[in-house]
Amino acid sequence: MVDPLQSPEEVEGRTERRRFVLEETGFDEVPKRYRKFYRKWRGPGDQLGPNEAICPVCKVVIRSSRELWPGDRLYCMPCMSRLVVVESADGTLEARVSY
Amino acid sequence: MADTIDAYSIQNWLESCPQSYLMDTEYGHGPEEKEPDFILDNEVVLEETIKATVQLVVGERCALSASSGLINAAPDEASRRFLATQTLDEARHVEVFTHRLYDLGVKKQDLEGTIQRYANPNLVKFAEILLEKVDRKDFVSGVVGQNIVLEGMAFSVFEMMHAMNEPVNAKFAHTLSGTIADERRHVGFGENRIGSLIQQHPEKRPEVEQMQKEMSYFMLATFADAFRNNQTANELEAAGIERPHSEYQGVDLGTMEPEEMEQVLADTVLKEFKTRLGRIGIEYQTPARP
Amino acid sequence: MGTAPVREVHDLEHERFLEEVHSFEFWFHSVEGYLSGTTYGHREETVDDSPSGAVDRQHLITVLSNYCIGEMAALEGASGLIAIAPNQLTKIFLSTQVADEGRHLEVLLHRMRDLGVKYPAQEADRRASRGLKQFRHELLRLVQGRDWEAAIFAQNVILESLEFAVFRAHAEGADPVTKEILDGIIKDERRHIGFGENELGRRLHAAPHVRTRLARVREELDHLILDMLEDSSREIGVEPDRKAELARAYLQSVERLGFT
Repeated sequence: MVDPLQSPEEVEGRTERRRFVLEETGFDEVPKRYRKFYRKWRGPGDQLGPNEAICPVCKVVIRSSRELWPGDRLYCMPCMSRLVVVESADGTLEARVSY
Repeated sequence: MADTIDAYSIQNWLESCPQSYLMDTEYGHGPEEKEPDFILDNEVVLEETIKATVQLVVGERCALSASSGLINAAPDEASRRFLATQTLDEARHVEVFTHRLYDLGVKKQDLEGTIQRYANPNLVKFAEILLEKVDRKDFVSGVVGQNIVLEGMAFSVFEMMHAMNEPVNAKFAHTLSGTIADERRHVGFGENRIGSLIQQHPEKRPEVEQMQKEMSYFMLATFADAFRNNQTANELEAAGIERPHSEYQGVDLGTMEPEEMEQVLADTVLKEFKTRLGRIGIEYQTPARP
Repeated sequence: MGTAPVREVHDLEHERFLEEVHSFEFWFHSVEGYLSGTTYGHREETVDDSPSGAVDRQHLITVLSNYCIGEMAALEGASGLIAIAPNQLTKIFLSTQVADEGRHLEVLLHRMRDLGVKYPAQEADRRASRGLKQFRHELLRLVQGRDWEAAIFAQNVILESLEFAVFRAHAEGADPVTKEILDGIIKDERRHIGFGENELGRRLHAAPHVRTRLARVREELDHLILDMLEDSSREIGVEPDRKAELARAYLQSVERLGFT
């Protein structure tokens, strides 16, 4: 059985993920060493990067050092949720809570 | 009254702990500090150290249950908020002593089994007497049992352990100094808050005194088990490691037999009980000696 | 976990992640980020531009009174939950929540004192809505009944979601000191709602029969919550079209757990 939380090796023919260097953006709600993985959501006009997703539980933007693909696991430390990235009906990526 | 409320406030806790003695610590000690080799490399000393640390976890778990359980029995807001900070302190103690067990090699999956195997039954009985009062929401008995008897015992035990560890185990001495700083607030609250409540409820005295007597007995029995069956001193001697000449209550712990150390600790704690209880208008009851 | 830089937090094993986020250490270094330099929930230099008109001031005091009773319920609930928590890690997390709730109560009472209320605890009790008091009573009943799932549902999902939504809406238009206080509380609430939702989500997944019992609890509490939401929206001056948004924020969390 395939663990749905494991990252797939390939998505639609692409085998390489883009990488990102994360820097702190002033988010101060988790210990210092984790701060770069989160940022505040600035509302509906806020454009998410390919390495970002909104936590549906607490509305914080979660960031990863790599491009997100469906099936990826994310952790939202501010609200302590485990999430999985899924492709929504409109083709964008969103994070869903995985209990 | 304003000063009293401020002293019991969470604001005061924030200024006392995170911005003071807990700053730059990790699980209660400096990030670079490690348990010394003479403990980790000697099976007997290691087991005795694990056993002693288990008693600390058991005591702190009891303190966590008691302080959180007393919040809903507290008669005023300031006491509730103080007990909220105490709950957090006790949880921190549970965590730092649990982490010490991990540092001593206890596997995470074996934590509960290790605690069950080594928890002293007399210490468990000591805890049960207190938690029975907490369950009944008996605030006066609960705070005397928790903040004077349990915390008073912990305060002296930690001080003795600190004296013994300071010259040889900076990591654990650091952990203990943080917990001692917390205990100071807890015993202070116990005396100051309960003093006035005892005056308002003199009918509670006999019950509180009986509880102190029973808890003291099981405390002494715990000490007896801990010191009389402890192989650490013999093992260190056999390994040619000199015990540190730490001073505690005016005596040199490095030259004492375990039974003598037990006596010093028991006398110190009981003397403290007598003084503290006297100050709040409770007559100290001499426990039977196990 | 140590202080070493973390390359990718999302690679942690789930068990290790939970151990980290439920610890005192995590809490301690989290609140340090946003509470250091504050006194009673705000920076000393923040200008106190609280309402000067008597009516608006009284209005704010009533709003804060309701928040105080909500936080008091949360403090009582969280402390009672420690006794029935299923393991040490959960007990430690709840202890941090107890301190958070105690802090919220303290800063809100302090704010009321700043606004000229001499005995804020008594005043809060006098002014708070009946629905909120009833909710507090029901929550404590569940805690005293040692019903872990139902009590966590009422406290960390229902009450905390409601507070999260209301505080966020209020913070948008509040005076600077009240806003800072509420922003700090919201940051704590993130942990609480997340803990509740995830803890229950895992349990419902493992024991689906619990759902029926929780649905009943929700049914019993729903009218109180919706009344409280209505009262709060009116008190903090939420426009009618945003009222639905507030209700949605609350409903989303219960819907994610499968309650429709």
